[in-house]
Amino acid sequence: MGRISAIARNAFREAVRDRVLYNLVLFVLLLTAGAIYLGDLSGGQERKIIVDLGLSAMLLFGVFISIFVGVGLVYKEIERRTVYSILSKPVGRGEFLLGKYLGLCLTLFVNVAIMGTGVSLALIYVSRGFDPLALQIWPAVLLIYVELTILTSVALLFSSFSSPALSALFTFFVFVIGHSSETLKSLSASMNSVSARWVFAAAYYSFPNLANFSYITPAGHGQTLPVTSIIAATLYALIYISVILSTATLIFSRRNFK
Amino acid sequence: MQNDRRFTITALCVIVCGMGCVVLLSRWLDERRPAPDSASAEQLYLNAKTAKRISPGFNALLADWYWLRSLQYVGRKIIDSHATVQLDNLGSLNLKLLAPLLETSTTLDPQFLAPYEYAAVVLSAVDEAAAIRITKKGIAANPHVWRLYHDLGFIYWQRRDFKTASETYGEGAVLPGAPRWMEAMKAQLAVQGGSRNTAREIYERMYQESDDPNLKEIAGRRILQIQSLNERDVIRGILSEYSARAQRCASSWIEVSEALRKARLRLDASGTPLDPADTPYQLSKSGCDVELDPRSQVPPD
Repeated sequence: MGRISAIARNAFREAVRDRVLYNLVLFVLLLTAGAIYLGDLSGGQERKIIVDLGLSAMLLFGVFISIFVGVGLVYKEIERRTVYSILSKPVGRGEFLLGKYLGLCLTLFVNVAIMGTGVSLALIYVSRGFDPLALQIWPAVLLIYVELTILTSVALLFSSFSSPALSALFTFFVFVIGHSSETLKSLSASMNSVSARWVFAAAYYSFPNLANFSYITPAGHGQTLPVTSIIAATLYALIYISVILSTATLIFSRRNFK
Repeated sequence: MQNDRRFTITALCVIVCGMGCVVLLSRWLDERRPAPDSASAEQLYLNAKTAKRISPGFNALLADWYWLRSLQYVGRKIIDSHATVQLDNLGSLNLKLLAPLLETSTTLDPQFLAPYEYAAVVLSAVDEAAAIRITKKGIAANPHVWRLYHDLGFIYWQRRDFKTASETYGEGAVLPGAPRWMEAMKAQLAVQGGSRNTAREIYERMYQESDDPNLKEIAGRRILQIQSLNERDVIRGILSEYSARAQRCASSWIEVSEALRKARLRLDASGTPLDPADTPYQLSKSGCDVELDPRSQVPPD
């Protein structure tokens, strides 16, 4: 446990030193501030625009961080050959991967928290005082974070056996497919061939169903989510991440670095 | 060292001069560029369903984008027309994109209420069938929102289908949270759908309930118009009474100011009656009728 947390802390420090992260956070904060002015053109819909734009930007830039930092986590260590010195110590390959993953999750957590605070502050500013929406958006923010942790695990899985460019591409595809999983389900139901039905059904369950975490639209209307939905979605994510990280560990432990 | 300085100065000169040339050349090109073909410019590349499919996780943001585009589209058309038009009477502006824009916005975010209200008030003067379709779609997606029944009832009231308007208000009145005036509106529409009182009631409710400042302004102006129509009826009565008594029309407001005061109309220091926007009414040239000042904020009849 101590070894994992040491690697995680190191991965977090490394990510925080990366100026791209600061730029992205700054960009989202600027975007939120821009949303305040954009709201003036919206015919009285300032608050909804701020929530939609702020949370969508949070998701979009969170996805960028997950993909581009996630695929480089392992690759950089191999490229710089620092992986040899780490793995020569009593550190298992699974511990190494898990530590790297938790480090990036911590980075994402800090980012999402800053972005969420930015959106809440923008809402308070626009409402000239306390706005209940500033609190009501946080369950949606939490689910965005959970979605990003899934994507990070997927990025880590691909980067355990593929090049960074391909890993980024594959992870992006998973993000798109994960949000269109309803299509896979309806395709599976509408196919005449039994084998095709099975293939699409398998694809539906294999890809993460990211629609489970997509609550930006209700958040914009000030709708709060049932606690059971949040718990179920988080549980789904935890199980899915465990499966993905186990697969990544299996592949990574068989990888030859020579 | 000197070479470095020379290089820096040269580079700065190239940047400044180059940017200046770019600006000048862009202006020159802009002036000579043919005007866009309005037929080809007015197309939506994506229909509502496709837009929904290609925006994974970003439906709400795209719905906002289409909503903003709807407002910009109407605003641009009004500016291009160079005419003073009321936002609820834009039939002459050929707003053929407004319906698909609102349709797309509401398909992407079916719980977004502002586009439904805009469809009821603004689109209904352009494409009544589309306005009814969009508002009914809103009711289907949000069956517990009474405001949408108010919007649909407003469209039916405008097309003078008072029976359906009354029924629509009645359907909305039974929903949880619906205000009592919905039930009263149902009865009023059934008995005197075409009256000014009903119109005033509807616009007052719209003014109170709407979040959209533009729609509030429409409602406010219509309330002023109805108030002015009532006042002008009173003034006309006083003028005709005067002409019957004096065997001639009034030559100035002073001659009837006493009667105007008794009728509780607001007068300025010279005894001229003021319209609801505080602009003095004008006595017609014949002196037998009252007219709005063209500069008044009250919309013309």
